[in-house]
Amino acid sequence: MALLKKKNVRNVEIPTASQADLAFLLLLFFLVSTIIDVDTGIGLTLPEYVEDIQTVEVPKDRMAAILVNENGDVLVDGTPTSVFQVKDNLKQRIVSKIDLPSNKKLIVSVKTDRKTNYNIYIQVLDQIKQSYFEVRDDYSTANYGSKFKDLSTENQDIVKDKIPIIISLAEPESVKK
Amino acid sequence: MEFKTKRAAVKQEIPTTSMPDIVFMLLMFFMVVTTLREVDLLVQFKLPEAKAIEKIENKRLVSYIWVGKDGRIQINDSIVKLSEVQSIMYDKRQSLPNVIVSLRIDKGSDMGIVTDIQQELRKAYCLRINYSATIKI
Repeated sequence: MALLKKKNVRNVEIPTASQADLAFLLLLFFLVSTIIDVDTGIGLTLPEYVEDIQTVEVPKDRMAAILVNENGDVLVDGTPTSVFQVKDNLKQRIVSKIDLPSNKKLIVSVKTDRKTNYNIYIQVLDQIKQSYFEVRDDYSTANYGSKFKDLSTENQDIVKDKIPIIISLAEPESVKK
Repeated sequence: MEFKTKRAAVKQEIPTTSMPDIVFMLLMFFMVVTTLREVDLLVQFKLPEAKAIEKIENKRLVSYIWVGKDGRIQINDSIVKLSEVQSIMYDKRQSLPNVIVSLRIDKGSDMGIVTDIQQELRKAYCLRINYSATIKI
């Protein structure tokens, strides 16, 4: 008589019930330790530092001088304006200079006081940028039929060439230091 | 006589076997789209709001300068003096020639400190800057 050994069937599976918990833990770790925020902001290029500054005379009609004082009042070419009017004010002047050669384009000069609030300065800079962007968009739609950001790189370069963003940052009066 | 509604004996459980897979997919998504936090912030600041803002496409080129409410300046992991900004940024520019300096300045700051930092940056030849701002809706 053959001895039939009774094998007890063992459960040889890896328990996967807790796998979800583990994965959630990992996920939480990544959620906490990472940042998603994209860097957004107003880009500028500063001029090079030179010891002795040579002043170059710029014809009055090429310049848009914006002055922001410590109380947050804005002067555009000597006339007081509100921050939100800066955009429309500049837009016309940029448009009128589109077809002029590159050495006759508008220069926007921003001058602040040492005590001027940074937020107001950003608001003004924002207005200037907005006016340039809107003019570029208008020009693109008129000539190429789509917004500036949807154009091909070559066309973007042409538009950039036509409407360059020239912002000059004047140093604040050192008297107020 | 009592009526008994006859119900089919259906299992009333939500199958959870695929849950780990879904969670792992989420995890993968987060690992791919995010970058690890690199610095601890030592200053408090609130960014100004603006409309005409651009994204910085290349995050590896960015180097940050924080200015807090109290006017303290932070670069990397430490608070620095204004006079030290130039040498630190010069070193950064040596290792990363086309560095973009992102200025994260509290909106209550004065222009004085902003200009001072800009002057230091000009001396250090870090000419590409970006005033960090959040989008205004």
